[in-house]
Amino acid sequence: MQLRDYIFRRLLVLPILIIGVSIVVFTLTRVGGSPIGIYLSHEMTPSEVAEIQARFGLDQPVWVQYLQWAKGILQGDFGYSGVAAAPVSDIFPLKLAATMELAAAAGCVALFLGITLGTFAGARRNRLPDHITRIVAVSGASLPQFWFGILLLIVFWAQLGIAPIGRSDATIFASIDHPTGLYTIDAILAASPKAFWDAVWHLILPALTLGYGATAIIARMMRSALVEELQQDYVDAARAKGLAEKIVLKRHARRNALVPTVTVIGLTFGFLLQGTITIEIIYRWPGLGRWMADSVLRGDQGTLMTYVLFTSVLFLLVNLIVDVVYANLDRRVTLGK
Amino acid sequence: MSEITDSNFEKASVRDTAFRVRMRRFFGVLQRLTSNPTTVVGLVLIALMLAMAIFAPWITEANTPDAYQMPRDWGAVRKPPGTPGHWLGTTNEGGDVFYGVIWGSRTSLQLSLYVVGSTMVIGTIIGSVAGLVGGWVDEVLMRIVDVFLSIPELIFALAIAAVLGPSFTNIIIALAMVIWVKYARIMRAQVIQIKQNDYVDAARVIGDSKLNIYLKDILPNAVTPVTVQATLDMGNVVLIGATLSFIGLSEAGIAEWGVLVSEGQAGIASGRWWASTFPGLMIFLWALAFNLVGDGLRDALDPRTEGR
Repeated sequence: MQLRDYIFRRLLVLPILIIGVSIVVFTLTRVGGSPIGIYLSHEMTPSEVAEIQARFGLDQPVWVQYLQWAKGILQGDFGYSGVAAAPVSDIFPLKLAATMELAAAAGCVALFLGITLGTFAGARRNRLPDHITRIVAVSGASLPQFWFGILLLIVFWAQLGIAPIGRSDATIFASIDHPTGLYTIDAILAASPKAFWDAVWHLILPALTLGYGATAIIARMMRSALVEELQQDYVDAARAKGLAEKIVLKRHARRNALVPTVTVIGLTFGFLLQGTITIEIIYRWPGLGRWMADSVLRGDQGTLMTYVLFTSVLFLLVNLIVDVVYANLDRRVTLGK
Repeated sequence: MSEITDSNFEKASVRDTAFRVRMRRFFGVLQRLTSNPTTVVGLVLIALMLAMAIFAPWITEANTPDAYQMPRDWGAVRKPPGTPGHWLGTTNEGGDVFYGVIWGSRTSLQLSLYVVGSTMVIGTIIGSVAGLVGGWVDEVLMRIVDVFLSIPELIFALAIAAVLGPSFTNIIIALAMVIWVKYARIMRAQVIQIKQNDYVDAARVIGDSKLNIYLKDILPNAVTPVTVQATLDMGNVVLIGATLSFIGLSEAGIAEWGVLVSEGQAGIASGRWWASTFPGLMIFLWALAFNLVGDGLRDALDPRTEGR
């Protein structure tokens, strides 16, 4: 199959999947009971109840209700957040920026550590560094992140008192403008080293906590890809040519081993996105995850469903991009059937 | 093979050989499994934690009336580890951390057995039907699976549990609704692959019924990846379940590790580190043990991946 056809086919399936997800999400909003519950009281007569039902279109067949709901979503009507006391669409971008900054920082940690550790282990297969990396990888996948975060806080915040909590210092935050909502970028735009340092300082611990688990995914893939590459003929040829082992490893084998590692980026992205929920609770990070946890506890399901729909669409798009990039990088990949 | 005298006898002897081959393979796998030190560590950890769950009432006396509720000793709140009678310390509400650690293993065992057991059966049935029947049945079932896989696992489980309302039982239901798709997908791929083997054709030629072929030739050969996935999931579902509990989707006061970590969080500012640390360590060890064994099992069942 041609690459162009493959991309076309994937793009064609994408809306079907998104519609499928939206049906699942809509069903979930209705399983919890009729959404008019909050408008009702005991003194109402049946005709008053019927009137409210008619006003919100709840006397229509379910599929009509679904279409109305979907139309609202497409027009940017995501409902009202009781927790934030504002329309969801007003708050969402602010919270999203906070979450994305955290996830991106954690992603950088994971990419750097994962590729370094994976290369280190793959080049020393079945020796001590390899075993240590394997332990790091398996423990990273088994570690409850909320617990790991609390342990770090016990040591660096409660005992040593060196780590901050939250997203920024209030006075430093007020000292600059926030056009992007990404505090590190805002600080650079405002040319304020003090604000930049404050933003980074607040990011370090949560990013490390979140990044550690993702490091495991990348390190593992990197290692096995490198082990495979090092058995290829071109590596022997490069060595026979008299190239230093370091160059053979870094310029030849590692570069090729990075190709299959691209496939786990989608997985890593999902991992980071989900991880932000508990990390934001622990570090009092004012992002989407913490907002959702609050919404869940206060029974604000409409907001939660917007979040589910949004993260799923994002997840689908990232996976699509990853697959297309991978197919481009490695022409040996057979596409579809 | 000599002339065919009795087709039933032939079938029996072929299956007898198949059985012996399978047994030999089983012991080979067992040997490879126990020769891997990290797998042995995992097996020992699992044995210890299972013993903990089974013998919980003998290790520490069950709370009455509900053993899965934390006992409250209001005369001994916020005691540090090493306190007589509360040697892992107590929580803000006087809950014995040791009790939570021990009885939490029962809670976790129940969660993992219910979720993995039910999803394995449901996923295997749906995956098998899709693989065997094919056509539009397969198409519809797999598109449903695709949609379910489009929603990130934890977020999906969170949404379902939130809709059902906060309780530990609802966490189990939510996890089951999210996890089954993995087994359906694995099983379908296995069935389609195995269906094409010569021995399945052979069984069809000698006139075996479809159900017989499925039960005796396809299913036994398809269980390998399902077993690996189930082992990994025994750990993972506890990890996700504890995360949902930590967020606040369990009942308060239940002897569950995630709830205990969450309750202990409030005390860390005042230096009370123990109430979160010990229960969290148990979640970690539980997930680690099953991940180690799952990995070992994958290597042992498929020698090609060894050392990779």
